[in-house]
Amino acid sequence: MFVDNRMTYLKREVIAAVASLFFDNKLKEEINRIPTKIIPRNSVSHRCCVEKDREIIKQRVIASLGFGLEDEKLVDESLLSDFVDKAIDRNSPDKQILSFIDEACKACVRVNYYVTEVCRNCVAKPCITNCPKGAISSDDKRAHIDGSKCVNCGLCLKMCPYHAIVYVPVPCEEACPVGAISKNASGKEEIDYSKCIHCGKCIRACPFGAVVEKSQIIEVLKSLTGSGKTTALVAPAIAGQFPFSMKQLSGGLRELGFDYVVEVALGADVTAQTEAEEFIERMASGDGMMGTSCCPAYVEAVKKHAQKFEKYVSHAKTPLSYTAAITREKFPQAVNVFIGPCIAKRHEGLDDDNVDYVITFEELGALFIAKGLDVSSCAESYFDLGYATCEGRNFPVSGGVAAAVTKILEDKGRRAEITPAYINGFNKKSISLLNIYATGKSPGNLIEVMSCEGGCICGPGVVANPKFAANKLKEFVDSKEHW
Amino acid sequence: MKKTRITICTGTACYVLGGANLLELEDFLSDEMKSRIEITGSACLGMCKAASNDSKPPYVKIDDEVIHSATIQKIIAYLSER
Repeated sequence: MFVDNRMTYLKREVIAAVASLFFDNKLKEEINRIPTKIIPRNSVSHRCCVEKDREIIKQRVIASLGFGLEDEKLVDESLLSDFVDKAIDRNSPDKQILSFIDEACKACVRVNYYVTEVCRNCVAKPCITNCPKGAISSDDKRAHIDGSKCVNCGLCLKMCPYHAIVYVPVPCEEACPVGAISKNASGKEEIDYSKCIHCGKCIRACPFGAVVEKSQIIEVLKSLTGSGKTTALVAPAIAGQFPFSMKQLSGGLRELGFDYVVEVALGADVTAQTEAEEFIERMASGDGMMGTSCCPAYVEAVKKHAQKFEKYVSHAKTPLSYTAAITREKFPQAVNVFIGPCIAKRHEGLDDDNVDYVITFEELGALFIAKGLDVSSCAESYFDLGYATCEGRNFPVSGGVAAAVTKILEDKGRRAEITPAYINGFNKKSISLLNIYATGKSPGNLIEVMSCEGGCICGPGVVANPKFAANKLKEFVDSKEHW
Repeated sequence: MKKTRITICTGTACYVLGGANLLELEDFLSDEMKSRIEITGSACLGMCKAASNDSKPPYVKIDDEVIHSATIQKIIAYLSER
C-alpha cells in the first residue's frame, strides 16, 4: 500500500524549486542555491547534519534535471549549474529511468540478520554451530554476526531457541517483485535492467528516498514555454488526485501552458472494446483464458519472468497508446505529454513514437506550485477530442478493466461466458501464480492484472491518499460529466 | 462548550506538500478529541504567499492559530495540550 511521507514531500519541493526557476528564466543563475534554500542553516536535520541533507538535495536536483547519479566523480566535481545546459540541449530522455542516491542509500544494512539483546548467550549456541560460513562468534554478552562472512542464509534465525535473531530487510529489495535490485561488491545498490519491470515500488519503499526517477520535466517545461503546441494526455486516475473538479483541473493545465487536454480514458474505451472482441475470439478458438494488457509493469514482468503466460496476454494496446495515436492524428504538430500515476509509463512512453514525454501527478502538482497556481481559482475548461464512457474512466481502479470488458459482453448478451479473476497488486508470488495459470489452472477466464495494489489510483506517482482518490474518482465517474 | 475549529488548507501548494493526508485526520483521533473539534477543509488560505523562509506548507489553522509544516502528529500534539 502506498505511503506518503516526508521524503515524498521533499521530492516534490525539489521539483517545484527547479520548475519555478525555469519559469522565471533563472535556472542557470540560481540553481546552485536550491539546496541551501530547501535546507536552511537552522533547519532540523533529517540525517547527521544539514550539510549531508543539502548534498542529498543536490543529487535530487540532478535527477530532476533528468540525469542519473551513477558517475559519482562527475556528481562530486560538478556544480548544479553545469548540468543545466546539458539538460536543456538533451534530445531524448534516458532509457534507464531510475537511479540511486548512494549518499542516502548507505543507511541500509549489508547483512540481513542481526543478533538482538534477547540473546541469552546460551551454552548450546546453535547459531554458531550451524552457521555454514563460521560468521558468528560470541563475547561475554551475546553472539555477533561478522558481516564480511555472512551470506544471508538465515539458518541462525531458524536455529535460535530464543528467537533472538531478527531478519532486517532492505526495503527496496524487499519491495521489488522481480529481484532486480541487489548490492554490488562495494555495497552500492544497483538495478539490473534486464530484470526490472519499472513498477516503481522501490521508489516508495525506500524510507531514505534513495531511489530517484530521472525526471522529464525540463523537456516538458521547454515545450510549455516554447512557441509550439503541447497536449496533456491525462490518465483517468487524475480525476481522484486533487481537491478540485475535473473542469478546474483542465483549466489549471491550460494555465500551465498546455494547449490541449485529452482524457486517456478515450483510449481505455478502445482497449476495452478490443479486449472484448479478442476475448470472444480466443474463447471460440479454445484458448480458455486471456490476460489484460493495459498495465505496462505487469506486461513487462510477463515478458521477462513469466514467459509461459505471454501467449495469453491480450494484443490490445494500452489506453495511452490509442489515445496518443488519436491525438497525434488530430494535432500532428503538438508535443504529447502523458500525465499519470505510473513509473512504468515512463518506459512505455520512451518506446512509443506518439508519446513524447511522461510526467507523474506528483510532478504535475509541483508544476502547479512552481507556477503559483491555485487550481480552484482557475477558469473552468473542458476536454478536447470528446468524452469517454464511465467504464473507460473507471479503468484505474482494481477491477475496473475487467468490469469494462464484462460490460461490453453483457451488452452483446454474452455475460455468462466471462469469469473475471484478479491479481490486485504485483508481488514476488505473482510471477509463479501467472505461470501456474498458464498451465490451465486459473480461477477465471479473464485475468485482470494491476501491478499496484488498488489499481493505478495507488500508483507510485500519485499525490492523493488512496481513500480520497477512490471516492473522488467515483464521484467523477458517476457524474457522467460530458460538458 | 465551544468546539475547536481545525481548518485544513487545500490550496494547491498545501495539498501537494502534505495536505492530502491531513484530510484523513479524523481517522487518527480519539473519540474524546473528535467530540471537541470540528474539521473543515478550506480553499487556499493564502498563507504560502505571505510566508517567511522557514515556514512551509501545508498550513492548518486551529481556531486562529496558524500551524505550518503541519502533520497529523503535530496537530494531535497541539490538541492534547489544550
